[in-house]
Amino acid sequence: MKLLNAFSGLPGRLLLGSAATLSLLACDPSTDPKPTEQPIVTRSVFVVNEGNFLRSNADISLFSKASSAVTGKSLFSTANGRTLGDVAQSMAVQDSLGYIVVNNSNKLEVVSLAKFRSKATVTGLKLPRYFAAASAGKGYVTETVSYSGSNGRVSVIDLKTNTVTKTIDVGVQPERLLVAGSRLYVTNSGGNTVTVINTATDAVEGAITVGDSPNSLAQDANGNVWVLSGGKVYYNADYSTDYTRTTKGSLSMIVPGQLTAITREVASNRSTPNRLTINGAKNQLYFTYLGGVYTLGTGDATLPATPLIKRSFYGLGVDPQDGTIYGGIGSFTAADKVIRYRTNGTAIDSFTVGIGPNGFVFY
Amino acid sequence: MDFTALRRRWLLRWLTSSLCVLTLPALAQTPTADTARVQQLPTVRIPGVRPERFAVGSRRLMLDSLALTNYRTGTLTDALSARTAIYLKNYGPGQLASITLRGTSARHTAVLWNGFNINLPSLGEADFSLLPVSGNAQIEIQPGPAGATYGNGAVGGTVLLSSATRWGAGWRGTAQADYGSYGLGAGTVEAAFSNQKLAVRTSLLYRQAENDFPYYTREAQGLVRRRQENAAFRQASLTQDVTLRLGQRSEVSAAAWLTDADRQIQPGIGTNNTRAQERDQSRRLMAGYRYVTQAHEWAGRAAWFEDVLNYRDEVSGLSESRVRTSQAQAEHTWTFAPNASVRAGAEAQHFAAQVDGYGSQPRTENRYSGFALLRYDPRPRLRLSLNLRQAMLPGRRPPLTPTAGAEWIALQTAQHAIQLKGNASRSYRAPTLNERYWRPGGNPGLLPEQGIGYEGGVTHTLTATPAHLQLQTELTAYRQLVDNWVQWTPGASYWSPRNLRQVRAQGLEASTQLTWKQGRYTAAARASYSFTQSEKTKGVATDNDPVGRQLPFVPLHTGAFSTDHTWRSWQLSTALTFTGYRYTDASATEFLPSYLLLNATAGYTLTARPGWRLQLLAQGYNLTNRLYQSYQNRAMPPRHGSLSLRLLWQ
Repeated sequence: MKLLNAFSGLPGRLLLGSAATLSLLACDPSTDPKPTEQPIVTRSVFVVNEGNFLRSNADISLFSKASSAVTGKSLFSTANGRTLGDVAQSMAVQDSLGYIVVNNSNKLEVVSLAKFRSKATVTGLKLPRYFAAASAGKGYVTETVSYSGSNGRVSVIDLKTNTVTKTIDVGVQPERLLVAGSRLYVTNSGGNTVTVINTATDAVEGAITVGDSPNSLAQDANGNVWVLSGGKVYYNADYSTDYTRTTKGSLSMIVPGQLTAITREVASNRSTPNRLTINGAKNQLYFTYLGGVYTLGTGDATLPATPLIKRSFYGLGVDPQDGTIYGGIGSFTAADKVIRYRTNGTAIDSFTVGIGPNGFVFY
Repeated sequence: MDFTALRRRWLLRWLTSSLCVLTLPALAQTPTADTARVQQLPTVRIPGVRPERFAVGSRRLMLDSLALTNYRTGTLTDALSARTAIYLKNYGPGQLASITLRGTSARHTAVLWNGFNINLPSLGEADFSLLPVSGNAQIEIQPGPAGATYGNGAVGGTVLLSSATRWGAGWRGTAQADYGSYGLGAGTVEAAFSNQKLAVRTSLLYRQAENDFPYYTREAQGLVRRRQENAAFRQASLTQDVTLRLGQRSEVSAAAWLTDADRQIQPGIGTNNTRAQERDQSRRLMAGYRYVTQAHEWAGRAAWFEDVLNYRDEVSGLSESRVRTSQAQAEHTWTFAPNASVRAGAEAQHFAAQVDGYGSQPRTENRYSGFALLRYDPRPRLRLSLNLRQAMLPGRRPPLTPTAGAEWIALQTAQHAIQLKGNASRSYRAPTLNERYWRPGGNPGLLPEQGIGYEGGVTHTLTATPAHLQLQTELTAYRQLVDNWVQWTPGASYWSPRNLRQVRAQGLEASTQLTWKQGRYTAAARASYSFTQSEKTKGVATDNDPVGRQLPFVPLHTGAFSTDHTWRSWQLSTALTFTGYRYTDASATEFLPSYLLLNATAGYTLTARPGWRLQLLAQGYNLTNRLYQSYQNRAMPPRHGSLSLRLLWQ
């Protein structure tokens, strides 16, 4: 989840940013101090470079928006004098810390965002994928555990001690996850459900049926949770795709508190939609599909028929401050490129990062 | 990112071992200052003509017996990486080792055993850690393209393994046992008999190692010492050669080479240990018949190979592969003048592959080629050769691949000899079975790669007879362009090989060798250096890799320096190799640091009674205790050693 919890990392910033407002109100306590109108400001973009499998050359690149340049190509290894690990799957932010999920090293690296110094390493995970924090003290990691078709799990991390406190059984191949209010939503990409977990008790509240192979999700301004499903791909004996059986991808909307979803299918089963992302105003969705980037408003009656950008990306991100779209090219052979686009889909510029940029964190 | 597809891609990557691997030129051992290297049928004294006779103007290096003898229980990986400037991309001790000759990849090196290509047809390359030294009496390397002479895949170079027959040598034998660090244990027995009619040789090898060596890795708490896990192996090899002379003019020969390796696959540093394990078994049988007259030689050979590669790990499960290759070669050589001979022949190969990655049904493929080789020495000091080969592949016809070569002895005095040489050659590489049939991604429409290369060089030999000194120096420059270079690239949902680019490899190879004798002291020293520049020069729009950058895993600089000393019953050998930095990505930004490795062997020979000798050898490896990686993120052992006890009789 690329841009994933950029938002969950924002509260600290928002609180800081709203300090002035709060101080004005200090002598007149308000019952509703919610700083909803504060503009989001991002200065840095952390690019997650997945790296080559088994070569432990994953790292994070830092792109400075002010100078429009990469100021640290290999941020982690430069700051810590060691490699990040094998296959950086994702990164998320909570307060001033970054949580990097290193899939094939079975660990979660915790770094300070200021200097990118390693703060802790959570080990013993089993093929971890994505991280989301529910609070300053509690986080969750999805883990594939095994590719045999058995259930994956979500590990609960105590963010004070950086240890696993418990594990929660979910569906097959859990992927991205999202904290919305007091609930955690987990996409089970090996099936067609989203597991709902109560973040206060860590009890499973239920599973919501969505389209086949849900992979990513986002929460909009109204609090609704949007879930993108890739569709189940069936193969012929020769591993070519069997399009007579492959199901279409879909976009579902869940109203928090409900265990049902409203699902709309995309037009073609020739491609699996993925990487659902939302803008800063939380009213415009973006995803990759059919070799391009598609977008729609949360109030749109129909799914988009034409792409905003005609280019396939390995990683997709949208800057919550200004809606700039970041697309990562994954060649896996050379130092890869990230291309930036305006909200209307016209290219701005590009910059070079590491191997296989699969996601972006705006901070 | 896309789990199953990704895992499958890893598996494929593992199986295809070295997608973006490149290579390197090699340098030197004994340049064989060949003229007509002939093999004699002793009583008839009619020479058969060896294939190298038609490889005029090419650089050739031979691992001599002294070089090989210290690696009798080792593999080609051990011998070549210690004794030559050839870079072998090695995933750990006993693990996959891919050769890189003259800036190309392992798929661009043909490995021939008794004239038959033994590269795995699925991968199109050989794992040099699966090729024991034992059983191969002779190891020769001919860098550079030689498609006409050696056929498919001889683009970056050719490795020739053979067992030259010795007639009338009676009984000979060797037995050796090794004991070494990290659970190394090895034993070999070799016995041979020959009279004037029959030559028989049997060789058996077994080796194993735990490879639980310590290595250091930087983790959150600092530099941590760890023990290597999951890197043990067991390996066995059996070779059997028989040659029988029938009458005065003909002989039949048969050979078998069986190898079996059961290896744990060493995980990368800091990566998930999935308990990967690989079983490689190769069964190679061949039989041949030769009929020789004063001016003619007819030869026919047939071979049957079975190559099994079964891979298993906890994540991907089991992947099985078995390829059977049946092949035949026939040729006729006509020496129509004392200074001229021509050879014409044909080759047919049939592959039958049962590979999980290709689907459930077997895949078969036939390949054919015909060739004509001409050798003509117009003057005593001038040798010329002109070779042609035309291959036929399924649905594709690679271009005609000619090779033209010349050697001229420009100066010959009692002390000095200077020889100039050069050749130009086309080469081709048929798409491998994996490249054509792997599912998903296999591309049956791939074109064969084709190369065109040139080389030129000079050899100087200084002979000082009274001082028993010989100094031989060789300098070679080369350039080759390979077109339709195949690269696996990611598509929408899976990786696929495509004819993406043109690659230009060029470089210099320098080597010098000194032998000296003073009383009971003999010394030999060899130094070699390779400069290799290999770059993508053109590509299609969908190929993201930049042009004009050194290819990954091709060191610009490599060197080797070895010495062998004997004095009375004592012997001492040293081998120092330098491997320059190697980029790990196609944009030439990240790299693995260069390293120097020093190995040494000391030995003492006891002659108990005539014909029986006992040798005790102590070998030390990585004596400077260098922390290094040959391939990215794979640990290599620190300083370690072994003891060998060897019994020889004749």
